[in-house]
Amino acid sequence: MTVETAVVDPDLEFIRLLDEGSGHMLKRCFQCGTCSATCDLSPDTSPFPRKEMAWAAWGMKERLLNDPDVWLCYQCNDCSVRCPRGARPGDVLAMVRREAIVYHAFPAFVGRWASQPAAIPLLLGIPAALLTLALLVRDPIQQALGWAPAVGTPILYAYSRMFPRWLLNGVFLAFTLLALGLLAGGVARLWRSMGRLHGAGGPSRRARGLVGSVTSVVASVLMHDRFVKCTESRSRYWSHLAVFFGFLALSLVTIWVISAPYNPLVRGAFIYPFAFLSPWKVLANLGGIALLGGCFLMIWDRMRERDHASVSTFGDWALIGTLILVVFTGFATEVLHYIRLEPHRHLAYFAHLVFVGALLLYLPYSKLAHAVYRTTALVAAEYFGRTRGGGRPSPEMAGTAADNAR
Amino acid sequence: MPQHAAVSRQSGGQARIAVLLVLLVLIPLGYSVADRVIVGTRPSLQAFLEVPDTKETRCVRDTAYMRYRHWELLRGVREEVVRYGIRGDITIDKCRTCHKSRERFCNKCHDATSLTPDCFQCHYYP
Repeated sequence: MTVETAVVDPDLEFIRLLDEGSGHMLKRCFQCGTCSATCDLSPDTSPFPRKEMAWAAWGMKERLLNDPDVWLCYQCNDCSVRCPRGARPGDVLAMVRREAIVYHAFPAFVGRWASQPAAIPLLLGIPAALLTLALLVRDPIQQALGWAPAVGTPILYAYSRMFPRWLLNGVFLAFTLLALGLLAGGVARLWRSMGRLHGAGGPSRRARGLVGSVTSVVASVLMHDRFVKCTESRSRYWSHLAVFFGFLALSLVTIWVISAPYNPLVRGAFIYPFAFLSPWKVLANLGGIALLGGCFLMIWDRMRERDHASVSTFGDWALIGTLILVVFTGFATEVLHYIRLEPHRHLAYFAHLVFVGALLLYLPYSKLAHAVYRTTALVAAEYFGRTRGGGRPSPEMAGTAADNAR
Repeated sequence: MPQHAAVSRQSGGQARIAVLLVLLVLIPLGYSVADRVIVGTRPSLQAFLEVPDTKETRCVRDTAYMRYRHWELLRGVREEVVRYGIRGDITIDKCRTCHKSRERFCNKCHDATSLTPDCFQCHYYP
């Protein structure tokens, strides 16, 4: 067997970072392979997390940060619990994912900076400042362009005196497009590295078509079937399911509301906020409750698991915290609307918009990026045949496998 | 193998939960489509708000102001009357000159946004 020689050029700083992320347990790993054997998600060929643990110990930063396999891990911690040395492979992979988000982030300094607790005031200050700026230029723009709250239309937003629709749609569309644009580079890199590592054989050897891969991943994501394979953290299935479908419901209602003027399905008058018993409002309220409940379950799990299996980073807490604040300010606005507190509801709505803005604006730099990177990795895994044991290890992978086998 | 049977039972349950949740999330969309298809075929003859009677040529403020801020105006008027005893020209009673029906005018938006203003707890406005 030909064994490719790998030149190990350890990045000591990166080793220190991963070691810290695993609660200083990383170096205990003696490459027994229990982690890869016990993992139900790991593919048959060059499985994770054993090879990643070796790369981590060697400080092979480039290889780890471009490794699509870390995104196939759901950190159920089966490996961490069964590791005879307590080396916490689950936490090491979580830390690699966090570093991969920072690494893929563009511009790079924002990624590093946004992953620090000290940046919180500025992180929230930026969307708040942008929104304030938009409010300051609101009247001059409306006057210059002759835009006024449209009187003749049957579409009515009760907030449009303070936040006209053009302003909200403009600001948040800009945030969304900016975030997706900045994410595109990282997504392309992840796809290419999956293709390079596991796509040997060319397009004719593809495991399945792109449409088939996407369909199968969407079904799998909706079902949360990978969460259920975890034996250690069953509650993660429920918490992520609640957060996921809550988020989905709220996104759907949001899209319905902002697209109302262009929606052929909207007949006659469309008045927002909705009536409490309107199907859309019921869905939004249920979605908010599900999201909030899921987030609290996640906090509970993280507090409980902290000692034996999982290390939580700033990024973990930041995403959960932002989601809770989005829902909380949303409900506050709703209540203030129903009890008709006129200026106050606008303040609560402003806070709500700031947190939603933060969620969108920092999509490429926060843990929320996993929604994009993980989906990409899952689709790539289906497309290149990585999940069903059909993947052909590249020489790079074969070298590592042979190294491991010795 | 029993383990595999357990896993497939599990994933069957998950599929059911996922389908249920997806359907739940899609209910409002389905409702809106049904509403459009079933009700939309009948032409709607009336305007959403009752067209005001033309006894007067114009309202106390322009339409945009009245649509988005009438509650501020009425609150201000209430404050002047109740706290300071200043009775001006604007009264809810006078609204009725043009806007005949609470049901067909005021309540249309109030109901649509689940608001119950307390004006009508004192003021008679049929």
